[in-house]
This record gives sequence, structure tokens and C-alpha cells, in this order.
Amino acid sequence: MNNLIAELKLKVIDILNLQDLTPENFDENAQLVGGALGIDSIDVLEMVVMVEKDYGIVINSQEVGEKIFSSLAALAEYIAENTSGPSS
Amino acid sequence: MEKRIYIAGVGIISPLGEGLTVTEEALRDNRSAIKPLDLFPLLSGEPLPAGQVRGLEEQSFLPRTHRLAHIAAMEAMASCNAPPDAVILGNTTGGILLTEQLLRDKVDNKELYRYHGLNSVTEYIAREIGCRGTTLTVSTACSSGAVAIALALEMLNSGKAKTVLAGGVDSLCRLTYFGFNSLQLVDRKGCRPLDLDRHGMAVAEGAAMLLLTTEKPDNPLAELLGAGLSCDAYHPAAPHPEGRGAFRAMQSALVDAGLGFADIDYISLHGTGTPENDLAEAKAIKALFAGPPPMLSSIKGATGHSLAASGAIEAVVSVLAVSKNFLPANTGWQKFDPALGLTPLTQPTTQRTNAVLSNSFGFGGNNGCLVITKPEKFSAQPAPERVNTELAIHGCACLSGGGNTTATISLLAQGIPVAGMANFDSISENLPPHMVRRLKRLPRMTLSLALGAHKDSAFEEKPSAVFMGTGWGALSETYDFLTRLAESKEQFPSPTDFVGSVHNGPAGQVAIMVGATGANITTSGGDYSFEQALLAADLLMEEGKESCLVLGADEGHPVLSPLLDPSIVPETSLSDGGGAFCLSRKKEGAQCLVRSPFYQSSVGEESIGCLVDALGGIQALKDKYAVLLVGIPAAAQEEGEAQLARFMAQSGLKTPVIRYRKFTGEFASASAVAAVMAVSFLVSGKVPGPLVAGNAILLDGNQSAILVLGLGRSLSAMEFTRL
Repeated sequence: MNNLIAELKLKVIDILNLQDLTPENFDENAQLVGGALGIDSIDVLEMVVMVEKDYGIVINSQEVGEKIFSSLAALAEYIAENTSGPSS
Repeated sequence: MEKRIYIAGVGIISPLGEGLTVTEEALRDNRSAIKPLDLFPLLSGEPLPAGQVRGLEEQSFLPRTHRLAHIAAMEAMASCNAPPDAVILGNTTGGILLTEQLLRDKVDNKELYRYHGLNSVTEYIAREIGCRGTTLTVSTACSSGAVAIALALEMLNSGKAKTVLAGGVDSLCRLTYFGFNSLQLVDRKGCRPLDLDRHGMAVAEGAAMLLLTTEKPDNPLAELLGAGLSCDAYHPAAPHPEGRGAFRAMQSALVDAGLGFADIDYISLHGTGTPENDLAEAKAIKALFAGPPPMLSSIKGATGHSLAASGAIEAVVSVLAVSKNFLPANTGWQKFDPALGLTPLTQPTTQRTNAVLSNSFGFGGNNGCLVITKPEKFSAQPAPERVNTELAIHGCACLSGGGNTTATISLLAQGIPVAGMANFDSISENLPPHMVRRLKRLPRMTLSLALGAHKDSAFEEKPSAVFMGTGWGALSETYDFLTRLAESKEQFPSPTDFVGSVHNGPAGQVAIMVGATGANITTSGGDYSFEQALLAADLLMEEGKESCLVLGADEGHPVLSPLLDPSIVPETSLSDGGGAFCLSRKKEGAQCLVRSPFYQSSVGEESIGCLVDALGGIQALKDKYAVLLVGIPAAAQEEGEAQLARFMAQSGLKTPVIRYRKFTGEFASASAVAAVMAVSFLVSGKVPGPLVAGNAILLDGNQSAILVLGLGRSLSAMEFTRL
């Protein structure tokens, strides 16, 4: 799980271009969307694409989406629950 | 002076069919034309429902957008023998459907990309109908068609034209088909606007045009009584959740028309079928109409959402409403949504209809509303009087290969070219990193320019409106979107790049940054894009204290610029940048004044003579100008030089000429940098000697104005004068 969180931190920082953030100061339990990072609906969709592309998991309901992207830890948990094997 | 704007003719092609009669029949049948897409083959997945025009004759060289526009234009012009004075079209796709294929096939013959630009559609239509006057190409996403018609109304009111062909067009393409799907905005069961179970839109295509005239035709179909524009200044892709921008646009359209709520018999909704749009629109309507709202429906359940065409298509449907007393149904609606609290027309309805409000909203929070009525049913509104024909420049900024404004002006004063790409630090100057993390080259340049121009002015208040000219739009986002789309076998396109790829994205960002909630217009007129933005500002900026930003910017892109811009060949080193101005009608405290006395989309024998006349005639010219800044795009070198020679001969001017592209490099909005040069001359009181290969020219006498001429395919003039 910790590996997955570390991996997701790098990916999210990269695809959302969160320049001020490093994996070290990225709090996986902090509010991800609508919080201090300024992550909004477009970023969520960008993460949806990443999750589908890299983990083969399709997220297409907004309500589910809100829960999944509430924090990075929640996202990692959802991915872990929905993948059978180890991640890439 | 009282003026009426009549709708003399209309033309329409949509997924419902071709022509007004067929459209009316289809709407009376209340059937949906939304079907699985088969326009282009898909690399993966099942086709989504889309609004595709069927049976369009295939032609290899002319993109689909151009062909759709041509059909609508011919129908609208059918009853008219003379060409209109101007053509104003909204458009977001240009020739991209063809460009997508060419890029995939790695075709590098740039001749094949010549119809890529949005302006190529407008210019093609103008040529086909014999119009040599002003063309404006408006790109404000899904409100483009309505905004184009609103600009036409202003142009007719101002007396600058007596007839205008105005409308909108877009063809389906991979960019919009996959782009909207990447935003999860497409309803897989077809489009059901206002329905409780609605899940989104159906991307569509089409074209519609109105022939507008101030001279009463024998049988006017309808009257365009008013228009209202606004910007949410809230989010690049989502509407303001309370529909505040939509509310303001509707309200100002009613005020412009001089109508009250009770006068409106029917609202033609924007009603895309996305949960957010329909909710925001419903809230705005309920806020505006105190009691029960008038009858209303969205035709997008039948046609899909044809983006830039939709506002014009729905204007034509509004013409049907008032001319035939026919109101279309909200096709596909079944379940009442209590959150909206609106019940649309479930069946086509015959009902005496005097006045229609037609709504269009788009990305970038761009809103345009039109009021269309039976002819001469209501009192005409007096057209606004213009006391000042000039706009006053209160601040400016530029970016170039030489750097920011200070660096650019200082290099130019020494006669040193500032060609080249603006460096990434200078285009991100003063921009907070969290605000621009998603922004690539063009929006960064635009924001940086807007901040610079506003800072240079003494204005404390924020500008209310934004006018932005860009020849090619956000090339980085467009290229990155298409590349990732192709590389991922069409499975993983980037929603961020799609939102960023729209031409009006940068101006929308400016509005959000400075809180500009007035009109927000992006024009795309090739090498004359900045000139078109200035013309739009001149049409819309009223007397009073309000200020606006007028910008022109283009980015150099290593792959796309050499393919698309005819003036850039593989050997050309890329240049980019732009200029921005903080303007108002208020002269006090201004740096100088600007006006746009002339713009002709295509050049003929008589054009130079017309230009000389528009500038005040030979004598006035001689006494006025200290220097000419002349823009001749490399692709039009020969004809541009010939035009310049003819202009100098006919006007008898001996004024020094600065060919500014030698200093700025080749890019579509180089004229915006030239405009900043002109301002810098007037502010410093001299034209630097090295630029005119001689002594500095002092700008202290009568002969102190500066003329910025755009030559080549079109002819444009901007005049900068001291206060």
C-alpha cells in the first residue's frame, strides 16, 4: 500500500504539474479536491484517465468519483481494492 | 437615432437536414437526429451518439466546416442580389477534421493545411458571396454563433455596415468528439436536456446564418431587437453554479431590446443536457423571471450540440418561432427534475409568438443571448451615440523574443530585432505558479500581457471586458491533445488539453484572473486577428468609465506553426509574442488614442483608394503621419510590397516606413507588438533613429500620428495619435 501511495504521489504531481509539491510534503490524508492544492474537476478527470490507463480501472460516476478522490490515500485504497495483481 | 435590424434571410443545415423548410418539418415531427457517429473510423470502442449531418457531398480539398458554412450562406443570401457589407462568423473547428488526418498521416505538404485556420471559413464565405468588406471570425466556444450575431447587431447599429451576414458553423471532428467525452459530458443514451436522468450532451455539427439589414426588406422574416453578452469569469469549462453569467447576459439582452420579462413568449434554451449547464441555466431563468417563466425548450435533444453553430441554429429556430408561431419541443425530455423546477414544451406547439429570447453559453464562461421578435412589433431602441470615435490607451504591454515590454522596447529603440520565441520566464512573469500550473504557452503569454497592460495603466478598477485576437490559438494544447489521442489509440485523451485547446481559453483565463464579467470575445483573423479584436472592442465599448483589455498573441509551435502559418517555412526560426492594451473611452490620463478606420478582408483594384479615403483623403494624410509601421507577412511579400508602393503613390506620402515584421519576426499577431511600438513612440515623443535609418523623428508637431498598416491578403489600418 505504501508503495502504491508513493507511486501515486509522483504520478499526481507530474500529471497535474503541482510544482510546489514534493512526495515528502504531499500529505496523502489531506483533502485532495477543492483543498489547498487547488485541484478541481478538470484535474479529477485527468486523474480518472491516469487510473484507467495505468491501473485499468474505469471510474465514470461523479458521485463515486468524489469519494475516490477525497484524498490520495482513498484513491490508493480504491485502486488496491479493484486490482488483483501488483500495480505497474 | 432609431434603427431597426431586420432579418431578411436565413440559412440552416443541421443533423435535422438542409434548409429552413426541412428543419421546420423535422422539428414539427419532434424527432431526434442523434445517432451513433460514423463520420470517421474509431480506433477503439463503440461510437457515441452524435449529431451528424448526413448526406453531405464529399469533396476532397475543402474541409467539412467550410462546406456546411457554404450551404447555410447560400440559403441566407438567396433572396438578396447584392453582397453584404460584412461577414461575421462564429467558428471553433475550422479545418481541424482534415488537419487531424493529415497529422496522423504525417503529411508535411503545407498547401494541404491552408484551410485549417478559423478565418479561412469566413474568408471563403466572403469570397463566395462577393463580400470584400470587413470579416470577423469569432471564437467563443459554444456561444460563438450568438456572439457573432451580437457583434453584427453592433456593427449595424454603429452605421459601419448596412447589411451583414452573420452566423456560426462547426463540423464534427476528433478534437470535440473525444474532447467532450474526456470531460464525461457525453450522454451515452443520446441527449435529454432538462430531464431528471440527463447525462450530458451529444456533440454535433451544422451551420446557420442570418442576413441582417438596416434597410427594410419587402418581407422581413423577423427583427433582431437586442443582444447581451457576459462572462462568468469563474471556471474554464464549468458554468457558474448559480448561473450568474447566464443571468447577466439574458438581463442585458432584454435591456438592450427594451423589453420586459412579460414581453418574452418563448425561451430557446442553451439546454445542452449536461447536469451543470441545465441547472445553472434554470437557476438564472428563475432568478430573472420573477413569476412563472415563459414557455421554453431546448432543441439539442433533436440536433445535438453543434458548438459554434448552435447559437446561430437556435437564432434561426427563433425566427421560425416568431414568423410561423411555431415552438419546437424539448425532444427527449421525460422526467421532471425538481432541482431545475422547469417543465419544457413536450410537444411542438403552435402559439402566437412575438418575442423570443435565445440563450447560448460556452467554455470560458462565455455567454451570448439574443432577442428576436416579429418585425416592428416593439418600439425600436435608439442606437447608442458615439461621442468619441477613438479608444483611449491607458496602459500597454508586450512580449517578444526580446523579452518583456521594457526589454523589447529598449532593443527596438536601438534598432535591434526582437524576433525569436519569448522565453518561458518572461511569459510566466508575475504569474502565481498555482494559477498557471495547467497552462501552456499561449495562455501564459496572454495572462502575463493582461497583467502587464493593467499594471501600466493607472486604473485601479478591473477591466470589464476582454477582446483577444489570436491567429492560431493554443497550438501546444491542440497538438498535445491530438498526439496523446493518437498514441493512446483514442483511449486516453487529456481533458486538460482539450479545455486548454479552445481558442477563447486564454481570454477566459484573463477574465477569471481580473474578474472581467463583461463581454469576452476572441477573434481569429489570421494575420489580422489583433485588428479584429480591436474592431470588436470598438463596436462594444460604450461611453463611460468602464475599461477593457484588448490583446493579440500567438505562440510559436515547432510542429504546427510551420505547417499552418503560410509565412513560416521550415527554415524560418520561430517567433512569437504579442501585445496588450488597457483601453476605455475616457481620454483623461490616457497615454494616447487609437482608432481602426479601415479593414477590408480582401484586396481589389479599388482597395487602396478606399483606404486613402477612409484615412481622410490625401491632404489629411500628408499633414498627419510621422511614420508608417507596415506589416507585410512573408507569405504575401510581393503583393504587400506592391500594395505599399501603390499606397505611397496614391497618397503622395513621403513618410518613413518601418517594416515591423523585420523586427518582430513572423507570427500572426505581430501587429499587436507593432501597436505597442507605436504607443512607445508617442509616449517617448520620438521615433528612434535606428528604426528609420536616420535621425530620430520628434513627435511634437502636427505631423505626429502613427499609422500601422496591415497589408497582404487583407488591408487594415490602425491609427495612433497623441491626446
